[in-house]
Amino acid sequence: MPSNMTLGERLRKQGVSRRGFLKFCAATASMMALPPTAVSALAAGLEKARRPSVIWLSFQECTGCAEAITRSEAPTLENLIFDYISLDYQHTIMAASGDAAEAAREKAMHENEGKYIVIVDGAIPLKDDGIYSTIAGMTNLQILKDTVKHAAAVISLGTCAAYGGIPKASPNPTGAAAVSEIIKDKPIINVPGCPPIPVVITGVIAQYLAFGKLPELDALGRPKAFYGQNIHDRCYRRPFYERGLFAETFDDEGAKAGWCLWKLGCKGPITYNACAVTKWNYGTSFPIQAGHGCIGCSEPDFWDKGGFYEPLSAGTFSAGGRLAAAAAVGVAVGVGSAVLARNSQKALHHKEGA
Amino acid sequence: MSLLDFARGPALEWSLIIFVIGVVWRLAGTFLFKGQKYLSKPKGTKFVSAGLMAIANKSFPPHELEKRITFQHYTGYLFHIMLFIVVFLFEPHIAFFDWALGISWPGLPTNVITFSSAVTVIILIALGIRRATDPVMKKLTTIDDWISWFLTITPFITGMMAFAHQNIGVRYEDLLALHILNVCLLLIWIPFGKLMHMFLLFPGRYQMGEKFEYRGVKA
Amino acid sequence: MSSLDAIGVRVEGPDLKALARRNAEPILHEIRHALARLLESGEETVIDLRGLPLSDFDQDFLVGELGVGELECRLDALGKSVIQETAYHGVWLVTHFNAGEQIIGRFVEVTFVPAILKSDPIDIRSDLDRLTERLAAGLEEGSAGEVDSQ
Repeated sequence: MPSNMTLGERLRKQGVSRRGFLKFCAATASMMALPPTAVSALAAGLEKARRPSVIWLSFQECTGCAEAITRSEAPTLENLIFDYISLDYQHTIMAASGDAAEAAREKAMHENEGKYIVIVDGAIPLKDDGIYSTIAGMTNLQILKDTVKHAAAVISLGTCAAYGGIPKASPNPTGAAAVSEIIKDKPIINVPGCPPIPVVITGVIAQYLAFGKLPELDALGRPKAFYGQNIHDRCYRRPFYERGLFAETFDDEGAKAGWCLWKLGCKGPITYNACAVTKWNYGTSFPIQAGHGCIGCSEPDFWDKGGFYEPLSAGTFSAGGRLAAAAAVGVAVGVGSAVLARNSQKALHHKEGA
Repeated sequence: MSLLDFARGPALEWSLIIFVIGVVWRLAGTFLFKGQKYLSKPKGTKFVSAGLMAIANKSFPPHELEKRITFQHYTGYLFHIMLFIVVFLFEPHIAFFDWALGISWPGLPTNVITFSSAVTVIILIALGIRRATDPVMKKLTTIDDWISWFLTITPFITGMMAFAHQNIGVRYEDLLALHILNVCLLLIWIPFGKLMHMFLLFPGRYQMGEKFEYRGVKA
Repeated sequence: MSSLDAIGVRVEGPDLKALARRNAEPILHEIRHALARLLESGEETVIDLRGLPLSDFDQDFLVGELGVGELECRLDALGKSVIQETAYHGVWLVTHFNAGEQIIGRFVEVTFVPAILKSDPIDIRSDLDRLTERLAAGLEEGSAGEVDSQ
């Protein structure tokens, strides 16, 4: 494919008519949570978009993020956009290996200096000079710094890259850190989730392609288009919450009737992601629809925020022991003060009597 | 650590510890305190103990004053009933007690809770205005009353805000954190201020009834 | 399927239907206002059904409430699309499928005619060229040529 072809030209070359293109744009806008009025702007932008070079770095990760985006079976929107980018380095799926793979990365960096996008999945270990994860003899930290130096932008894909995720979970033996803790001088887009929703990944890329700029981000560096609202506010079970109808266990009548999972520990109210709207597996379902509360996987430190099955009104510590100890202290102090009071009372009586 | 993590973690833990120590301390100290010993015999001949009678009698306005204290008496009742409903019958609160004490009970529909919260706040504001303007009340009021009033009304306001966060445009987790922190302050304050009446009211009335009995006075 | 059927999960009930009715009602009100606007000022409205917190059951309820009208068009481009006028004139239901038959977009369009039905000048121009070439070639070699679709 000639690299100077625009996305519009490429789609036409593939036999996609203008109607097909409009349909593609309408569906893309829908998945990006753009208002339907933005479709024409998106169409104009995508029509002229140029093919970007992408270098994908995988660090402390489980490959779930790569699986999520590459495992779609039917041709989908995410494929169309994903196919369009020039993925010049991804060590899991690229044909080249060893020195050839690293050479491909160097070449892409050199040829697209200042223009390429770096996708990172996985956290970066910092402890002991980062020796806990290395590729081709280089630590993840070295590779990241080296690759990002001439990039246009970084996409932190998945919660590990965005916030440290599971590698960073207590006690964090490798000193795992998020990309944003290391790279300070480049625009970073966080696309968290464990894994992120595939269309969210491509949505971010599409937005970059169409509008030539990075999307608007929230305080945690996430694109507002996808992470603007919490799961709870977009959840189809929300009316049950409003009415105070909650499942108490995973197999009671309330659970079977699809009531709110708040009391079973659902983290939907404090989790910002598009699951409730975009859903998973081609829009089939999402965890809450399948009967399990949200575990908040797109939030920083989600692994260490108390139990997945504890409701949000519960504390994140275990109440029993310390409160019993506190009660014991209270009894001791109370008894002590009563004894002191009795003694002074007695003394007073004696005085009066004398 | 986010604000909510702080609220649900160290803030809640330490305020609960202070609350438990404080309440148990005061209760143990009060109940173990040896009262004045009466050498006379109780004057009454009632079948039911005078202490229990006092608890019952004091729950109604004294006849002579009834007309003059109607407002604070009945708003007081309404306020406490509404407060009970909101604190103990809102499902997320029941989930809290389930976590803290390991017991739970059925709750009420959320619209009942919202209504009760609104009524509670309105009554608290009305009683606050009365306290601030009534010349007699002004003389009786100490800083303790105002701290107790403030720490009681704020959790209701932040709780309702958290529930209606979409309409206010503030994130739920921030309002929930604020709500929990409010409750933490309240928990810390309870043992050391007038709010301790939630534990001492009925024992106090009982004791007063028993004492008066020796003097032949009806409590 | 038998093993899945054995799982005691009830997905429908009187509750869900009442819920669907409550969820659908504000959208029907929005459609009513949009129709009034269309008549008064010609302003068109597009509602993205997937952008609303509706369960599949809610969506089906809403679509059932809108009904089926006189006109239905099928589009074949990047998978099937169905453009259907509902029982209310001027209210169209546009459903896009991908090649795998999964819904990738569902819109209620309040308009005289949905934009996607109109032929586009870019396509017309390239087809004008094609027809011109064909006439110049004397209508030889093969048939009129098929519309590319994917």
